[in-house]
Amino acid sequence: MSAGPLSRVLAEVGAGTPTLTQMARNLGLDEEVVRAAVEHLVRSGRIESRELSLGCPPSGCGSCAVASGGGGCGHPDVVAGRRPGLVMLSLTRSNG
Amino acid sequence: MALTEQQPSRSLNLVVPSAPPSVKACCHTTTNGGAGPEAPAVALVGAPNTGKSTLFNALTGARVTMGNWPGTTVEVSRGVWKTTQSAASCTCEECTCDPGEKRLEITLIDLPGAYSLDPHSPDEALTRDLLVGGPVAERPDLCVVACDASRLANSLYMVSQLREQGISILVALTMLDVAAKRGTEIDIAALSQALGCPVVGIDPRRRAGLDALAGAVREALGEPAPAPRPVPATTDALERDDDRFGWIAAAVEAGTRAPDEQPRTWSDRVDRWVTAPVLGPLIFLAVMWAVFQITTAVAAPLQDLLDGLFAGPVSSGATWVLGAVGLDGTWVEGFVVNGLIAGVGMLLTFVPLMTLMFVLLALLEDSGYLARAAVVADRLMRSIGLPGRAFLPLIVGFGCNVPAISATRILPGARQRVLTALLVPFTSCTARLTVFVMLGSIFFGEYAGTAVFAMYVISIHLVVLAGLVLRRTLWRTMGTEPLIIDLPAYQVPTLRLTASVTWLRLKGFLQTASGIIVAAVAAVWLLQSIPVQAGQSFGAVPVEDSVYGVAAQAIAPVFAPAGFGSWETASTLAVGFVAKEAVISSWAQTYAVAEPDGGGPGALGTAVMNSFTESSGGHPIPAALAFMVFLLAYTPCVATVAAQWREIGPRWTLFGIGMQLVTAWVLAVAVFQVGRLFW
Repeated sequence: MSAGPLSRVLAEVGAGTPTLTQMARNLGLDEEVVRAAVEHLVRSGRIESRELSLGCPPSGCGSCAVASGGGGCGHPDVVAGRRPGLVMLSLTRSNG
Repeated sequence: MALTEQQPSRSLNLVVPSAPPSVKACCHTTTNGGAGPEAPAVALVGAPNTGKSTLFNALTGARVTMGNWPGTTVEVSRGVWKTTQSAASCTCEECTCDPGEKRLEITLIDLPGAYSLDPHSPDEALTRDLLVGGPVAERPDLCVVACDASRLANSLYMVSQLREQGISILVALTMLDVAAKRGTEIDIAALSQALGCPVVGIDPRRRAGLDALAGAVREALGEPAPAPRPVPATTDALERDDDRFGWIAAAVEAGTRAPDEQPRTWSDRVDRWVTAPVLGPLIFLAVMWAVFQITTAVAAPLQDLLDGLFAGPVSSGATWVLGAVGLDGTWVEGFVVNGLIAGVGMLLTFVPLMTLMFVLLALLEDSGYLARAAVVADRLMRSIGLPGRAFLPLIVGFGCNVPAISATRILPGARQRVLTALLVPFTSCTARLTVFVMLGSIFFGEYAGTAVFAMYVISIHLVVLAGLVLRRTLWRTMGTEPLIIDLPAYQVPTLRLTASVTWLRLKGFLQTASGIIVAAVAAVWLLQSIPVQAGQSFGAVPVEDSVYGVAAQAIAPVFAPAGFGSWETASTLAVGFVAKEAVISSWAQTYAVAEPDGGGPGALGTAVMNSFTESSGGHPIPAALAFMVFLLAYTPCVATVAAQWREIGPRWTLFGIGMQLVTAWVLAVAVFQVGRLFW
């Protein structure tokens, strides 16, 4: 039995395909299907999704409550209304 | 039928403050705010944001009751959906409907939003229990699944699960206009065939398609439930989900028509260039060079203005005020004028520069460009065998090293965390930027931006080289962690968000200036005021004879091979261990005390230039470059050390400090010794 879309998407993540668009191209699948598959894999805990932010206050972070969370001051939880930015997806350890 | 008065254990415990009076029982009889007991029950399900509740409101109007489901805190809405049907199909004996058009009242239940029947919350658990958890007789007569046509594959997971249960379902397709804007056409008949259930396109916001939905619902209520979709006999969750997604992919392929060739958006076109393997890094470097060039060029006049303000009117005003209260010539004047105003004031002259820098970075981030830079960085990481995930803490490190060290927690392996935490201090944080800009403007004039940019390039090379060396020595067996990146679309940055992010970061800079820098200024002033030799009084001692000066003279020779072996320069590196901004304030203090009459705009620059010229034997430019490289590579600040201590323990932290100091010294000496051959 050939692997289904989820297994193939997982394999692409493991292979380090850089973007979802590229992944859809590689798999010959509709990008929406790939996106749905990734979202499902995130929900089922097979892929970790983490929104990234860049930049923090210079120095002074030692006492910064925001910094301790690892997201930095640009994190959407901190800057109200910030639009979603870069999202990093990676295999969880159980899939590694 | 699940939700009737005959089944009290499962009936809704609803509060109906103004229940309408009962009328004669019939197919459309209304009792206590709900349809009659014989009215069919239709459950409305779907993922959040699919338009489910909008549809519920459009179908039921004001005829709605809300309350917690018994035994739960989950709120469920129930309403009466009044539809019409042909007289021939009505079975009521005492029906009072118009003979030509009979009404059918339906109990419509708006179940909590759920993506699937695999619950992750009490809301989803209730949805699952009501749809498939109980006996068949207690289930709704029909499930209407609201599916977002613009995210069809995502919405169909619930459909795939319901189709395995052998219950009657109908798909109400919303957001067709959004899908159309994206170039996706839905073939409703083909989709219906692929899904094995009726599909109706609706727009509940405009109340479009509701009659067709009512007709389809009435028709579906008269049909037997379809046979369950065959599923593979397996207990493996991935295999089962794979089968569902195979079914979803086939349905999407059958039911949607995308243009023959997906239109290449301008975002795609830009991405082709900015994420290209070779061109991408070059574009990134060019963008960052432009940022530094713009920052230094535009902010320079403002910085000079503020420098003049603090060195002139502010210092003079403070001196006058202190003189007026009889404190002129005392240690108080020294502390206020030569300490606080010179130190903190000098740091505050960087506010315009930092503001501009933060604005430009916020624009790059909000536009989506920095996300592309992350793709480039990730590729670089993996090409040299470092864990791809490590790029996140390293990128954060260019803002501040402290949260970057905390961000190493995202790495799954202890070795990867230690390696990345050791590399983070080599990323040039914005605190170091202030010193780079100051030295750049003193020694490189109009090329200050390029000099600062060079420090960032060196920083990237340091990270890569140190990473390679550590991987080939200490962690040869460490694997890489693959990842993918979901790039956001490019967007026009908004003023509000840019201002918000800029202010947040600037506030951090100002808090540092008002907190740790004031403390550092006070400590430096205290050390500069304590005489080493007897016969000199507190606060009236030349700096070189103070505890500060003597200690600095002791360590200065270490830096002589790097061209900056003067005690004035060496002392700033010791202070810089506390925080890099303190390098500037301590410099300003040292020269303000040493040359109290030499104040004025640019005086500090002249003093620093003279010091480097003298200590380097006439080669100030390579000496300044060597100093900047040392500043880049040695321990960032005590806060970073504390963060490392917490994350990777004392052994690796001390190893890191040693590695940074050795690297910084060797590089600084190399830069000066090679540079003096040319400049």
